[in-house]
Amino acid sequence: MSLLAQSLVNGLGQGAAYALIAVGFVIIYKSTYVISFAQPALMAAGATAVALLTVQGGFNFFVAVAITVVAAAALGFGIERSILRPMVGKPVFIVAIITLGLDVVIRIITNRFIGFEVRPMGDPWGLERTQVLGITFQHRHVAAFVTAGVILALLYAFFQYTRMGLAMRAAAFDQETALAQGVNVGTVFGLSWAFAAVLAAIAGVFIGAGSTIDQGTWVVGLKALPAIILGGLDSVPGAVIGGLAVGIVEALFATYQSTYMPWLGSNFSVVAPYVLMLLVLMVRPYGLFGTPEVQRV
Amino acid sequence: MKHTMWRLAALVFLLALVVAACRADEDEPTEALPDDPDAVDEEPVDDEPDDDPVDDDPVDEEAMDVPGITEEPCPDGINEDNGCIYVGSLNDLTEGPFSAAGPLIQDAAEAFWRRVNEEEGGIGGYDVDISTYVRDNLYQPEVHSEVYQEIRNNIVAVGISLGSSPTIAVEEDLEADSMFAVPMAWNSDFIFSDIIAETGPNYCVDSMNAVDYYVDERGDIATIMSIHYPNDYGQDADVGVRIAAETHGAEHIGVQTPPGPENQGDAIQRIAAEQPDLVILTTNPTDAGAIVGESVAAGYDGFFIGHGPTYNVALLDSPAADAFLNFYWNVAPYAVYETDLPGYNAMREWLDLPEGILGNNFHVAGWVSQYPVKTALEAAAENDDLTREGILAAKQSLTAVEWEGTLPDEAGNYAGEPNERAVRASFLSQPDTEPESGVTNLELEFTGPTAQDYDFSEPCRDNY
Amino acid sequence: MSTVNDREREDAASPDAPPLDDAQSVSRTRGRRLSRRPKLYTSYRQDMALLNTPSKRNAVLALLAFAAVSPWLFADSLLFIFAVAFAAAIGAIGLNLVTGFAGQVSLGHAFFIAVGAYTAAAFTGDPDVRHIGLGMQWVVAVPAAALTAGLAGLVISPLAVRLRGLYLAIVTLGLVFLGEHIWKEWRSLTGGLGAGRRGVIVEVAGARLDRAGELFGIFMTAQQKMFYVTLILLVALAILARNLTRSAIGRAWSAIRDRDIAAEIMGIPLTKYKAMAFGISSAYAGVAGALLYSVTRVIDPGSFNLLMSIQYIAMILVGGVATISGAIAGALFISFLPFITRQAPVLFPFIATDPALRGGGLINVFQLEGILYGVLIIAFLVLQPRGLFGLWIKIRNYWKGWPFSY
Repeated sequence: MSLLAQSLVNGLGQGAAYALIAVGFVIIYKSTYVISFAQPALMAAGATAVALLTVQGGFNFFVAVAITVVAAAALGFGIERSILRPMVGKPVFIVAIITLGLDVVIRIITNRFIGFEVRPMGDPWGLERTQVLGITFQHRHVAAFVTAGVILALLYAFFQYTRMGLAMRAAAFDQETALAQGVNVGTVFGLSWAFAAVLAAIAGVFIGAGSTIDQGTWVVGLKALPAIILGGLDSVPGAVIGGLAVGIVEALFATYQSTYMPWLGSNFSVVAPYVLMLLVLMVRPYGLFGTPEVQRV
Repeated sequence: MKHTMWRLAALVFLLALVVAACRADEDEPTEALPDDPDAVDEEPVDDEPDDDPVDDDPVDEEAMDVPGITEEPCPDGINEDNGCIYVGSLNDLTEGPFSAAGPLIQDAAEAFWRRVNEEEGGIGGYDVDISTYVRDNLYQPEVHSEVYQEIRNNIVAVGISLGSSPTIAVEEDLEADSMFAVPMAWNSDFIFSDIIAETGPNYCVDSMNAVDYYVDERGDIATIMSIHYPNDYGQDADVGVRIAAETHGAEHIGVQTPPGPENQGDAIQRIAAEQPDLVILTTNPTDAGAIVGESVAAGYDGFFIGHGPTYNVALLDSPAADAFLNFYWNVAPYAVYETDLPGYNAMREWLDLPEGILGNNFHVAGWVSQYPVKTALEAAAENDDLTREGILAAKQSLTAVEWEGTLPDEAGNYAGEPNERAVRASFLSQPDTEPESGVTNLELEFTGPTAQDYDFSEPCRDNY
Repeated sequence: MSTVNDREREDAASPDAPPLDDAQSVSRTRGRRLSRRPKLYTSYRQDMALLNTPSKRNAVLALLAFAAVSPWLFADSLLFIFAVAFAAAIGAIGLNLVTGFAGQVSLGHAFFIAVGAYTAAAFTGDPDVRHIGLGMQWVVAVPAAALTAGLAGLVISPLAVRLRGLYLAIVTLGLVFLGEHIWKEWRSLTGGLGAGRRGVIVEVAGARLDRAGELFGIFMTAQQKMFYVTLILLVALAILARNLTRSAIGRAWSAIRDRDIAAEIMGIPLTKYKAMAFGISSAYAGVAGALLYSVTRVIDPGSFNLLMSIQYIAMILVGGVATISGAIAGALFISFLPFITRQAPVLFPFIATDPALRGGGLINVFQLEGILYGVLIIAFLVLQPRGLFGLWIKIRNYWKGWPFSY
């Protein structure tokens, strides 16, 4: 029983980081209908920036994160403005492949900065842990969970209560109508990319927290793919639940699969999220919270 | 319309690039040998001037009969009067899984030849160059094959061939071209191939020695867990652990783990559940950090020994630092970067690393990998047969290589049977904050009883 | 796929085809061109012909003639890339059938390529070695690869009936991840990650086509032979695919792509045609896999990943969606892109090759090559979002109107 609870807790901790990346994907998707393959690279770039600022630069961790967040926002905004803006109205798959090109470029530059050593994150949580009722809570997992909660609450408030948030929702709902109502759709696109880059960077920080990052860290970003499909491509709450679900499924399979389902082969936990995704889609073809496409002839 | 013209211009430019590397500048491959002289005559563009600097190496004009050797000096040649021997390098330089290692290996290999050219005046009147025909293989066999084709007619051997499956992908071509390769991969398959010059013990031997050494130092053990990647590296090492466990009557628990620190939950949980006396790690530094750090934080008080590529100095700045300092040793085919032996001293001197790049195990790997190439070239020069065939024959008849202490004397017996070729001594080290590589030697050239008695009749990995 | 307007493309491809008045012309001059008006179609059949304009026919013949002599013009290293590109083109044509013509975006192509590659490798493999090998002939193995991969495609096609758009894309991507797991675990077939197994052995009637040697009394290198092998299969399969898209099946696919509900109402059974699209597309992928690993000598199970799938999507996007020639051009472009970036040391001789960057500088030349790869893809698609095919149309129209701009 405590083993079950323990793996659930671990899964939620990991899942919080996945959820942050997934929300980034969804925000871009909602505004531009593009799946951005550059998210994993942006995540790695953010994590690298923080790691370099803390350990090499000697900055306080939170200062480093703040600097990185601002830089990530600027980078996201800049990429959208310079490379993706000309592609507005072009087929979305073309844009998706362009983001893939971006991914390659950002990754190689990031690798250049990671260099030949692994990079400790320099976070304040490390491997510290607290026991509550026989269950171990790792501080970094708790921090990830809380941060994700706060960020999502802020995002919710932003979308619900600010003019810009309203504009973004309007643009996501119908770009042309929003344009006709005086919404600056270009700014909306730029802002979505900025948000996504920031979320990716923060997720990267939690992926590396308590551990190190290296040139392979970007791969973690792909875990968001089953998460967003699971939750529904255009649903922010869906992405959160999807991310957490991916974390939990992984943890459960990691804990139990070798005992109960050894015939699935070693390390099935890595592909388990995809199987879950498949099962969910068989029942709900637009994910758990996605909007079904209205079909007209 | 202006745009269209620009695009046309770009297109023409690209076409020009493609045509630039056309069949004419290639000496007919060695396999296209004598029985068909037409093959060369038929070339329609033979006398077209070649304006592509990449292929515009002196090779073409000078040494049609000896591919890879020219009478012209090397591009960065040190001895003006010497010709040049080109050695190829197919390396993971930018985005493959070993792109953190590839450039260091390359750097050290280049330093190795700088020294040979400068101190010894090259070999047999030729400087040796490993920096001209370098290609990025992205650690993919497909790419490795592709780039091998580009340089196959310009080199005498592949001095660096990073990765197992990439190296295997060009084995047939190497054979056809009468060349050998030095693999940057240490699995036990390679002692069975006579066009491979492996350097040092394989992962399987390293595993055996790690277990034996631990038993020597800390007494008997009941359970050994081997946490390994699901690839040639992990599986070869795991078999070694199993063989050593049998010798010591210990239980062997194999735990396969996928790469990525976020995927180590399973491994960490298995350590906590089974509390093995010893854990052998065959992963990368990031994952080792997660496994060692979290298991120790969760109360595990056994011990870890990791393979060479499992450790990195930066782990000592990570939250897992204490765990590494107290519960971890390293086993590797080489001694640590700072070792005071002639070969290592020369390496540090000639590498002359710039600020910000720390010396580590991969530098040693790159440096050591060139000794067999050097010895084979010297032997071929001695026999007055500096051709690919001569160099390959020289390599195949080597019974010893002058390693300058970097590897045990038993290494480099390429003329021997696989079982004689297999090196059985490993180097053990422990984490230390003092040296730049983050490790100090525990024991040089350790050969445990398991490795000593093991008969290499087939690759370890076949028994996984 | 984001509705690429196929109709528009076809129009662009044959702008000189006048609207037809079948009833009249067919009755008089079916199939015969008017002597003074070579560009005037006089029958529907002519409009729909395989190579429906003289210039198209001449161009194709010229290209084929050029291709036939290429192995004696280009270096082996380029022929190797050509052979890889031709094999990839077969896969890209397959993907174009399901994605470009039938509108079902599949990111699972790498999986089917793997199925084909492993089937062919197992069929031709040496029975005496560690990995599964049946020691059969290559000519049997390639159809077997097509069949196995095609069946795999049929099996997963029901997903496409249930899912749409990006959901389908990511679910088929799931297939790639599941595949990676299977290949990793099934080591008696695949040899396991990192080491892999021997690729497909190309032996036809006792002659090894993947090794240098005499063929029909002419000495040829392995690359020259494999160039011909892949080229011949590519031409055959390209014609087959072109015919398929001109048939009722092709029209049904296009209808499904443009509006699947409308197509269903018109009486096109969606399940059947989507299943056919996936089956045939996967069979093409199977052949591509078998050929790719006839050229490359080792199959590493790690190769069949997300990146491979995306590269195939990139091929059809770069080439031009829903065109056979576009798929081929795209495959050539993507396959040659790394080669082009490898010329960076020539173009940028001032960028250091020293991995430790002793002389200063931000990146070394290999990093520059990697960055160029990404930049070229971005630049190409930003400047030319309709792909090589669109570029071709523009160039052609420019010369057609020359010296007038419009």
